[in-house]
Amino acid sequence: MSQSLRPYLTAVRYSLQAALNLTNFSSQVVERHNRPEVEVPNTSAELLLQPMHVSRNEHEQVLIEPSVNSVRVSIKVKQADEIEQILVHKFTRFLEQRAESFYVLRRVPIEGFSISFLITNKHTESMNTEKLVDFIIEFMEEVDKEISEMKLFLNARARFVAEAYLGEFVY
Amino acid sequence: MLHLRPENLLVQKTLTEAWNANENGAPLSLDRVISDFDYTTLHVSNTPENKTVLWLSIKTKVWQSALKCGNGFLEHLESKYSNFPGITPTQQPEQGYDYTLQVDLAQLQPEAMVQLSLLKIHVMSFAFQLAFQEFSVLSQQTQDPSSFSGSNDTGVLRHLQYRDDESIYIKPSNDRVTVIFETFFQDETDKVFGKVFLQEFVDARKRNRSIQSAPQVLFSHEPPLETASVTSNRRTDKDRRFITFVLFPRHFQTPELQFSSVCHLALFRNYFHYHIKCSKAYMHSRMRYRVDSFIKVLNRAKVGETDESEQQTRRTITGRKMVY
Repeated sequence: MSQSLRPYLTAVRYSLQAALNLTNFSSQVVERHNRPEVEVPNTSAELLLQPMHVSRNEHEQVLIEPSVNSVRVSIKVKQADEIEQILVHKFTRFLEQRAESFYVLRRVPIEGFSISFLITNKHTESMNTEKLVDFIIEFMEEVDKEISEMKLFLNARARFVAEAYLGEFVY
Repeated sequence: MLHLRPENLLVQKTLTEAWNANENGAPLSLDRVISDFDYTTLHVSNTPENKTVLWLSIKTKVWQSALKCGNGFLEHLESKYSNFPGITPTQQPEQGYDYTLQVDLAQLQPEAMVQLSLLKIHVMSFAFQLAFQEFSVLSQQTQDPSSFSGSNDTGVLRHLQYRDDESIYIKPSNDRVTVIFETFFQDETDKVFGKVFLQEFVDARKRNRSIQSAPQVLFSHEPPLETASVTSNRRTDKDRRFITFVLFPRHFQTPELQFSSVCHLALFRNYFHYHIKCSKAYMHSRMRYRVDSFIKVLNRAKVGETDESEQQTRRTITGRKMVY
């Protein structure tokens, strides 16, 4: 792991631990509704907490938006060139289509980010908060690794295919 | 399956079946439509009057432009099959098809079946054949000092339109034959993947010493100067790509080399797109695997299930289950 990745992930971990302090909270506006306050237009400022923005560089950022009963975590995955852009787009879309098995995954990322998670008090009640943070951190590590591996694979395959084709012309 | 074969396996299989059935004295009644790359369809059917005689018809996009390449196109096709007994071209092609061969099963030889399945390649090879012939004329002229004009003599640009908006241009000159593919990517992802692949085609020759003698490959967004006479009056799309293969005399010295070069060039687009699709499929299976591993990590976080399993395994020291 590179020198600057470790402190970045540590910062995200501590920020998440601080943010994942959720309680059951019924809506103040609509009767018998219990909705994630971070997702709904809100008039009462006390329900939303200060968003935290952890940034490694302009390509890799995490935005944590806490509220009284939910936290929204958005991750911007590194996209150095157009191949990585496509790979990240394909990969996040693939995950989002399977959002129901991920429980905490949001189907649409918020503007400017690659992928978003929405953790509500329901999730923290049924899951170990510490493990949930572990999952997000591991996800961030693995996504970068996966994207660069896929890119390497694509290049390796292209090279092999081109050499095999041109090899047929060697008499 | 790294390389695509130039023969059409379905045609071969159909003909073998028909031939075997005919040998056993019970000829099949056939009416099969077989497809090949680049919107080519082949039709194998019995002639109306005789079950032991088949018609093999082909319809292909490349036909019209191959006809325009020069005289003697039909003679070229005929010459490919004249050595094999039992295969005769019909005067009038079957309705809806470009060319029909009449195949007499009683006289058909096994080698002829392979040649019949190469019909599409033979259609495409005509333009290449003309270019190779013209090359030999041009190179003779340069060697002869009396007729040498000093300028770089170039031959006629031949154009094969093998798909709706994709073409091959072939241009002979006195020391090489240039083959230019004009291609077009519809999908945004294909465009980017295609760029990676094409770049490797360009670089492969420089990097790997063992394939130094392969044709030089160039890749550009702008139409090359060779095709300027055809493409200049047309608005060039920004999605167009031009891939140039420079064939040197060593790639087409003998008829066998010519044939194998033409086969590979004719299948270039198919080969290249096939491998783009393959890498996409591989990435999909990889992502599937990755999703599973992420779900495993997430499931570790669940509280309820681990508690239950602990309760089930709680036993006394003698091995009995604890009852609350």
